[in-house]
Amino acid sequence: MKTKIALLILFISGNLFAQEQKMTAAEIASFKEDVNVVSKKIKTLSTDFVQYKHLDFLSKDIETSGKMIFKEPNLLQWQYKKPYNYSIVFKNGKILINDEGKKSAVDIGNSKIFGRINKLIVGSVSGNMFDDKEFTISYFKVKGQNLAKFVPKDATLKKYIKQIELTFDKEEATVVQVKLLESSEDYTRIVLKNKVINAKIDDSVFTN
Amino acid sequence: MQKSTIQFLLINCFLAIVLVSCGSVTKNYTPKKLDKTSYEVPYFSDSKTDYVYKTNIKVYGNEISGIFIAKKINDTTHRIVFTTEFGNKLLDFEISDNSFKVNSIVSELDRKILINTLKEDFRLLLKKKYLIQEQFENDSDNIYKSKDGKRDNYLFISKKDHRLEKVVHSSQTKEKFTLTFTSENNIFAEKIQIIHQNIKLKIELNYFKSE
Repeated sequence: MKTKIALLILFISGNLFAQEQKMTAAEIASFKEDVNVVSKKIKTLSTDFVQYKHLDFLSKDIETSGKMIFKEPNLLQWQYKKPYNYSIVFKNGKILINDEGKKSAVDIGNSKIFGRINKLIVGSVSGNMFDDKEFTISYFKVKGQNLAKFVPKDATLKKYIKQIELTFDKEEATVVQVKLLESSEDYTRIVLKNKVINAKIDDSVFTN
Repeated sequence: MQKSTIQFLLINCFLAIVLVSCGSVTKNYTPKKLDKTSYEVPYFSDSKTDYVYKTNIKVYGNEISGIFIAKKINDTTHRIVFTTEFGNKLLDFEISDNSFKVNSIVSELDRKILINTLKEDFRLLLKKKYLIQEQFENDSDNIYKSKDGKRDNYLFISKKDHRLEKVVHSSQTKEKFTLTFTSENNIFAEKIQIIHQNIKLKIELNYFKSE
């Protein structure tokens, strides 16, 4: 019986170790190349998403969901549909918010931190963040997927985000999950699905 | 002579205004014999429930929206977190009747006056048990007075379905802020408003169920 348990533990922990495996230099180079080729082709992108807010003290993650639409070079709409309607548009240095019909706008023309956030969201979803000098990046292989971990170098940014983890589908080389870690216990996990690349998207979509 | 009469009238008027505005919170209510000596609020009392609310805060013409989360973490203490819709944590408090801890707060909100105001608001919002000293009534509610240090809390409990609808936090002379609750089942409140009378601050919470 004891041996059985020991074997079981070994098997489980062995599995755990197998889940995340560091990439070799050659693997990193080829992975980055794959992602760059795909993300360069992206002119528009729309995807459904489910967001799980995990706080260690809660019994259940807080789940919200909606749709994200991106159009080159920097039009972005992030729209929550369930369980409430809340939509935020990044457009020409402005943030437009529609909160259950209540509209507001914030001028971010000169705000560095919002510029960064915009770049971060677009980068996260398109996957094109590898040239970013602001992060220390490490690369892993997980069963059928690739994983890149971004640790901010800047102290201000680090206060808000401890680490960003992007999970990529191996075949398509596109992002399937974004995980923003605030601390070791608390994070936001966003799962992207039903992704459509380069469908025709009118600019008028980005009004709020 | 005439001048002093006018002065006298002016002073009288002034006194009258001051006296009226100093009138006790309960002036429009009828005193009544106590029918209970304590009251327990059901709305945030279950340690198994994650209390999650879409939140809108209006402060001096500015609006902030986000998600308010409260959870009872032990017999005396609640953890409170306020995040943006994206999930970024803006503040993280632990609060009980006589303790308060800031786990984290973003620098933009890290102002003593704001933290103290929210501390008072949330402490009352999450308060479980009130000891009652006096009772009043109006047409629709039984009103219970509960001492809170130098101030008082007035609990408005509907006569119709015995639900806590309102708590008024007040000094001897005037109302400071008011909590209103809308509850379908008297177990949790779907809608809560925290309205300040002396500063321009209004917090609205709307309960939502995750998908």
